[in-house]
Amino acid sequence: MSEEPVDVLIIGAGAAGAAMAWSLAETRMRIVCLEQGGWMNPAEYPTTRSDWEMDRLGAFGLSPNGRGRREDYPVNDSESPIKISNFNAVGGSTILYAAHFPRLHPSDFRVKTLDGVADDWPIDYTSLEPWYDLNARMMGVAGLAGDPAYPPKELPLPPVPLGKLGETLARGFNRLGWHWWPSDSAIATRDYEGRAACINLGPCIIGCAQGAKGSTDVTYWPVAIREGVELRTHCRVREITVDENGMASGATYIDEEGIEHQQPAEIVVVACNGVGTPRLLLNSRSDRFPDGLANSSGLVGRNLMFHPYAMVTGIFDERLEGYKGPTGCSIISQEFYETDSTRGFLRGYSFEMLRGMGPISTALFGLSSRRLPWGADHHAAYEDIWDRTAGMVVICEDLPEPENRVTLDPELTDADGIPAPKIQYRLSDNSRKMLDHAAARGIEVLESAGAKETRVEAPLPPAGWHLMGTARMGRDPASSVVDPFGRSHDVKNLFIVDGSVFVTAGGVNPTNTIQAIALYVADHMKKNLDQLFD
Amino acid sequence: MQRTLSAVLDELIPARDEEIPGAGSLGIGAFVETQLGDASSLAASGLTALDARARDRGAADFADLPTEERAPLLDEVAAQHPGFVESLFFHACMGYYQNPAVVTALGLEPRPPHPDGYELEPGDLGLLADVRKSGKLYRDV
Ligand SMILES: Cc1cc2nc3c(=O)[nH]c(=O)nc-3n(C[C@H](O)[C@H](O)[C@H](O)COP(=O)(O)OP(=O)(O)OC[C@H]3O[C@@H](n4cnc5c(N)ncnc54)[C@H](O)[C@@H]3O)c2cc1C
Repeated sequence: MSEEPVDVLIIGAGAAGAAMAWSLAETRMRIVCLEQGGWMNPAEYPTTRSDWEMDRLGAFGLSPNGRGRREDYPVNDSESPIKISNFNAVGGSTILYAAHFPRLHPSDFRVKTLDGVADDWPIDYTSLEPWYDLNARMMGVAGLAGDPAYPPKELPLPPVPLGKLGETLARGFNRLGWHWWPSDSAIATRDYEGRAACINLGPCIIGCAQGAKGSTDVTYWPVAIREGVELRTHCRVREITVDENGMASGATYIDEEGIEHQQPAEIVVVACNGVGTPRLLLNSRSDRFPDGLANSSGLVGRNLMFHPYAMVTGIFDERLEGYKGPTGCSIISQEFYETDSTRGFLRGYSFEMLRGMGPISTALFGLSSRRLPWGADHHAAYEDIWDRTAGMVVICEDLPEPENRVTLDPELTDADGIPAPKIQYRLSDNSRKMLDHAAARGIEVLESAGAKETRVEAPLPPAGWHLMGTARMGRDPASSVVDPFGRSHDVKNLFIVDGSVFVTAGGVNPTNTIQAIALYVADHMKKNLDQLFD
Repeated sequence: MQRTLSAVLDELIPARDEEIPGAGSLGIGAFVETQLGDASSLAASGLTALDARARDRGAADFADLPTEERAPLLDEVAAQHPGFVESLFFHACMGYYQNPAVVTALGLEPRPPHPDGYELEPGDLGLLADVRKSGKLYRDV
């Protein structure tokens, strides 16, 4: 079935696709976004039910392989110690994300110059700064001005409350003289642009029933749709098609009923995330592009970066009220963010404090750490940990390595028979050393905050939620997939705007930067519409 | 089998206090049965073994054994049926720690988090005084 031609086709309605669609809407071009998932209904999110914690293991689990939703595609991640976590719906992975919303540092764009590793980005902090600010307004970012770890930045909403848990940990940092700051959080801490204020439900990562968390189904999408963008759900793109001139001509997709459609478009924008994007490009083979679309460099799918995570948990004597308040948003520490080569590794990491352990999560922690026995001692052991754990994750910068990659699995397919991605990834020496350093510092700060016992898990297996590097940006077509404005070197009307284009990963969560890049690319497109394909 | 399961659950998570009986008597057995999935045949063979051993000792079934004999027998059978007790215990914890009486005893209101939510102390941002004094922490480029 052939659809009416459109000016712009955006594939993927997650963090990046939403920002792109909203920004382009003002051009009044005809814009369609194809998304394989559907709209989520916040009124049905788990925290509206008494058995809410169970859904962490089921329908709102982290791995697409375990959720059993048709909208998901399977990922073969058996050859990676870090497993893929994502979500496929309007809003993409922001449905599950913790909304911890830091920016990259200026130094992150210059790692080659500063530290002699990987590559510099062809863009820098200053080029993204206005787009970070705009994104802060659109996503509704809460935070506190004055953080010495960053240049001054726009933060439209007051910071999330620290609570007793946050204060306890803050004191631990203070005793050591280490940096900490209330986290930048894409959370409406008061009513904001039609979103109700956060009421501290706890588990942001199973969907926010309050609608306070800035997932893009409640931020960019309603505005973009009001301004005329058409969002077509349950439409899974199989491949991007090309014409005889080597330009993208549109995409072939399959709807909910299994019917195949052809969507012609003048411009194609891919926003399927660091795994979905290389998968789609590699699936888009033709005589002209036998190795997949936009892949003359051979780099599509290569240089996959996660942020290797460690989780450091402490057990305290006092109750910390940690079951309430945003899971991943309280305080951040960047004491060890910038490179100090005396530490034995290059680049650095952030600490992100965690809360939100309900009764079942506490039991799971007890079981996995082997401190919750059955029998006579059960209750005393549970009492020791119930509401008395606090901890953090460590977000380590990963460096790009070509062997870490996304390919197509030779056998595995999704429900529509489209080849699924396969991940090959191993931890580098630098990452390993950084994780060790971070775990030791994490223990130190938890003890300083009063923890009587600590536990480390590193690398944290489900932490494949930051997906970067698989279609990197650069000036040289031989060593990059897209140019400094997100346009593919090989196909002049094909743009990529998700974590795939990251040159390096930084040591913070990526979504704010992913969206800032999407807004930056969209701005450049808008200003150059007449010579876009030159 | 339900009687045996219930008695086993009472061993795994015993009475917490006078108010809250063991997991089996609290009725967690029905939940566990719905959750076992692939592990249900493992559970069935373990429970059958427990009853058989109990009969060897002259009791009608596991639940009929004197209470002090139950835990040691469970240990024995657990050793011979790897995974049996672990999977029951796992699901028992899932059911038990969402039970309204248990949740109340933990100091929470027995309700879903939404729509009432929770109050959270803003916390003392004065704690940042020293951090503010530290000066710029990011590198120039
Ligand atoms: C549990 C969890 C916690 C996280 N916490 C944080 C955090 O605190 N801070 C942070 O910055 N980041 C966090 N992240 C990561 C964050 O969600 C991602 O960085 C972000 O969503 C990526 O945006 P994206 O637009 O590139 O991709 P996504 O948001 O993943 O969107 C991609 C969309 O494309 C669609 N798609 C893919 N392939 C196709 C196809 N072939 N056809 C049609 N549609 C397709 C998908 O269905 C999906 O909706 C977290 C992620 C998870 C899973």
